[in-house]
Amino acid sequence: MAAIRIENVTKKFGNFVAVDNVTLIVEDQEFMVLLGPSGCGKTTLLRAVAGLGMADSGRICIGDRDVTYLPPRKRGISMVFQSYAIFPHMNVYDNIAFGLKMNKFDKAEIDRRVREAAELLHIETMLDRYPSKLSGGQRQRVAVARAIAMKSQVLLMDEPLSNLDALLRLEMRAELKRLLAEIKATTIYVTHDQIEALSMGDRIAVMREGKILQCDHPTVVYDRPATDFVGGFIGNPPMNFLDAQVQRRDGAVEVAIGDFKLRPHPLMEPLLRGYDGKPIVIGIRAENMEALAAPADDALKVRVLVVEPLGAQNLLTVKIGANIVKVSTHPSFEVAPDQELWLRFPADKIRWVDRESGRVLYPELN
Amino acid sequence: MKKRLNLTPYWLILPSVIYLALFFAWPMVQALTLSIWDGDARLQLRAEATLRSPVSDWLPRGAPIEVVERRGNTVDPDDLGQSNLRTEVWFYIRGESADGRTVEGWAPEARVRVRETDAAGAPTLGTIRPRIGGSDPLTTVYAEPSVVSDVVGRIESNAVVAIERQTILELWYLVRGERDGAAIEGWAPSRYVQVFGDNVRGRIDRGDAGELTLRYLRSMINDRFFWPALWTTLLLMAIIIPVQFVLAIIMALIIQQQLRGNTFFLYVFAIALGVSELAVGIVWYAIFTQNGYLNSILVSLGWLAAPIPYLTADTRHWIIVAIWLAEIWRATALVMVIVVAGLQAISHEILEAADLFGANLWKRVRYVILPMLKPSLQVALILRTILALQVFAVVIALSGGDVVTVLANEAYRQYYTLRNVNVAAAYAALILLLSMFSAAVYLRMVRSHEEMQE
Amino acid sequence: MSVTGNIAAAPVQASEEMLRVRQRALLRHRIQRGFVYLLALALCLWVLAPIWFIASMALTTPATVRTFPKGVLPFIPFSFDTMQFFLTSQGIIPGLINSVVVALITLALSTVIAAPAGYAISRFLFPGRDFYRLSILAVRAFPVVILAIPLAVVFINVGIYDSVYSLALMHTALTLPTTILVIGSVFASIPYELEEAAQVYGCTPLQAFRSVVLPLVAPGIAASAIFTFVMSWNEVFAASILTVRNRTLPAQVLATLNQSSEPYQFAGAFFMMIPALIFIFLIRRYLFNMWGQISK
Repeated sequence: MAAIRIENVTKKFGNFVAVDNVTLIVEDQEFMVLLGPSGCGKTTLLRAVAGLGMADSGRICIGDRDVTYLPPRKRGISMVFQSYAIFPHMNVYDNIAFGLKMNKFDKAEIDRRVREAAELLHIETMLDRYPSKLSGGQRQRVAVARAIAMKSQVLLMDEPLSNLDALLRLEMRAELKRLLAEIKATTIYVTHDQIEALSMGDRIAVMREGKILQCDHPTVVYDRPATDFVGGFIGNPPMNFLDAQVQRRDGAVEVAIGDFKLRPHPLMEPLLRGYDGKPIVIGIRAENMEALAAPADDALKVRVLVVEPLGAQNLLTVKIGANIVKVSTHPSFEVAPDQELWLRFPADKIRWVDRESGRVLYPELN
Repeated sequence: MKKRLNLTPYWLILPSVIYLALFFAWPMVQALTLSIWDGDARLQLRAEATLRSPVSDWLPRGAPIEVVERRGNTVDPDDLGQSNLRTEVWFYIRGESADGRTVEGWAPEARVRVRETDAAGAPTLGTIRPRIGGSDPLTTVYAEPSVVSDVVGRIESNAVVAIERQTILELWYLVRGERDGAAIEGWAPSRYVQVFGDNVRGRIDRGDAGELTLRYLRSMINDRFFWPALWTTLLLMAIIIPVQFVLAIIMALIIQQQLRGNTFFLYVFAIALGVSELAVGIVWYAIFTQNGYLNSILVSLGWLAAPIPYLTADTRHWIIVAIWLAEIWRATALVMVIVVAGLQAISHEILEAADLFGANLWKRVRYVILPMLKPSLQVALILRTILALQVFAVVIALSGGDVVTVLANEAYRQYYTLRNVNVAAAYAALILLLSMFSAAVYLRMVRSHEEMQE
Repeated sequence: MSVTGNIAAAPVQASEEMLRVRQRALLRHRIQRGFVYLLALALCLWVLAPIWFIASMALTTPATVRTFPKGVLPFIPFSFDTMQFFLTSQGIIPGLINSVVVALITLALSTVIAAPAGYAISRFLFPGRDFYRLSILAVRAFPVVILAIPLAVVFINVGIYDSVYSLALMHTALTLPTTILVIGSVFASIPYELEEAAQVYGCTPLQAFRSVVLPLVAPGIAASAIFTFVMSWNEVFAASILTVRNRTLPAQVLATLNQSSEPYQFAGAFFMMIPALIFIFLIRRYLFNMWGQISK
């Protein structure tokens, strides 16, 4: 059992608050992804868990041990570094064996574990080589092999794929996922790549300015972002945001986008009533809008600015009021720039964002 | 695009190449030459009494000879500037001889006192010098400007003579000597020959051609200071360098910790890098001298009843200790700076990885930092080794230069005190060869180091 | 801040033992830090104490210098008498002037010769570059001052022996390799793209060099020049061999070392140290770049 409990951890660099009173619990054997733009504090948080830079306040527990003040080597963790941090003066074998040797495993056990780890990463033929003779991808594999050879209950990964080129990254992503499922370690994985986060994590913690904005399963984070920032950061294209106005007509709530009137989902009505006469922001993903070639009552007329054929879909850029909106359509839907078309907004796909706080409103949370 | 050889870089490095050729490569060759080449070991003998005549044989410097014949050659006025020519001036005089006739002929300048000169400074009138104490009071006048030519007359002392003209002669001797049991004869310029009082026997004073010789090397090795100097130099190397490296690595690791006040520590540790060797020697002299700081502190603390004289001929070991401390004080900074530069090249993630995978401080130093510093340490080691061959002023300041002595100090003594340039050059050559050996190792290491980084 | 998502694991209780562990860890961390500080301060003391001693000897009265036991407190009584005694001794002021002249000529000469060479090795990839670099490294490692002996013979033959100018020629040979490598590393730290950009925007290569590179490298080159000055100022072996009447300061002090009094020696040592203390302070930022490059 090695759940990681991060309780009210704060870390400052001078006056800059890198991690701001964060609490996060990673379950045993869970794959937790810390996601956020650079400078959001995700790496600092990971390093605090690793013990590389002590937390200023708060508490970090691994399993049932309080490790807040333990040096890294006593925390029973292993880690894959962004730059891999492979020891250049040791060959691959010695690199993988390093942690085991330091922890005084016996020779046979070291040998067995090194070979096992090397096999898992398909580098068993390179054990005699020195890092300077390895490619970037191979070094990456060595770094991962070194980490898993420890069989620690906790594995930390700091943007392990960011130094690889695109194709290799895709390949390693799938392989890492398979591997981590196999070794069943509790993992914290830091990345700024939302696709990596969505595709790999059991849960994603989205961070910004030292705080965790949302921590949930990838589908939930994608579909029901907690804030406009999360919606905008996750997904490609990001979630669209439209300025709208809440009005009441005949006792029912109605939302106006320019002249176009929209009826919200019945579940949302009680919530939106509070916004009567106030502006609100509508969030909707590109693939959730229906594009129609002909006018319809419940569809908004827009003019297409740009058409980007992406193979599996076409991405249209349209303008609604002052907002630029991306709409994805099936490739069979023929459309050209400057053409008019009609957009329908399915009520259950619309997310309502409070303009002031950026918070997304969900009926069940209130 | 066709690749053209760009000449710009060659123009840019040309001045430095020329400079180093002139002031580094050439003096190096000179040092080697001076130490094994005896520049005037042989006197070349010629068939005729002129430099144009081919060399027929030679005699070694110092060889006893007999002068068989003398001859004076008129000197080409262009050659007069040569300061080492041994010349003789002859006057063509006219005067009354002892038997009353008018004689005209040549007499050596030494026999005539010039009384009047013309506007150009050439002598016109003179008197015959009196001979003092000689058996023959008369001065001989010759038909040719040579004592072996016909005698035309003899003139009394103090007689007035007219000086018609003068000629400058270079003297040549036909010398006979012996080399390897064989008798040798030939003409040589008199300036190379020393003739004894009987005007016949003499010896070769110096030569005009060189030969390879081991005598400078031999006199270096046989010098009573040579072996002490060599051993002390090596001993100092052996006891200074390890301590320096340990200290320098500790300093570098402290700098690595990024403590508050790091820049201060860094400056203090690096100070000695700029301090003059001589000043360091005097500073440690101030500590170790009999009424210096060490004794002051020990006596004040009551650990010593009376000050100990450390820097005397009877306390050689204390002088070595003082030199040891002074050199550690002075040159650790250099190693420290190189090690810090090497440490900076190790990414912090590497050290964090080591920490994370279970290495404590000692193991991190032992298994990660030291192996990764190896290239820097090797370079520092070679630099220090070679610099240790130059230790000089510290030794003079602390030992006065003879109780404890080192190679560079002996080179200085041979040159400056004993005026023995060739032996000094031999010391220089020895130091150069020792460092060339180290430099060869150094270059090999640098190359393999560069190969390692793909 | 609250956590969104499921929190299943029960909170860990902060037990007495964990608090103790935490306190012990904090204490150990503090002790370690303290130990490192102590070590650092001890090493500082080791470096600074001798300077302290010599400074307090140089800045007091000659009578105090001769007393025993000496006090560890410095400057009692404070006085410039010893310094004045040293500076007014015979040959010191001329020696000082000679030292400065030699160092300035050396500085100028080696910078002028080294700057193009440093530029060449950092900017051009030309056949023979590696050989040139290695040769310079090898020369740097050599005990160049030893060459003063054969050079003295040459200088006597050419008739330029015993002059500050010929000594400056020797010192330039001593400092040139270091200067080339340092200036090379200074140039290497300025990306070539900057020059190319300037050329794209209409500069000739020379203009690009003058308006873009020169301002950027000036501090580094100044640092290297200062280091050259210090090297020449400190050099004593070649100066003692190559000069007789026109001695530099260290050569003068060395020549009279055996006949001089302690106040003279101590004041001389302190005086020779002063420029080094100042200059090393000025260029401390560059020291590591310099030597880092050289040690490669």
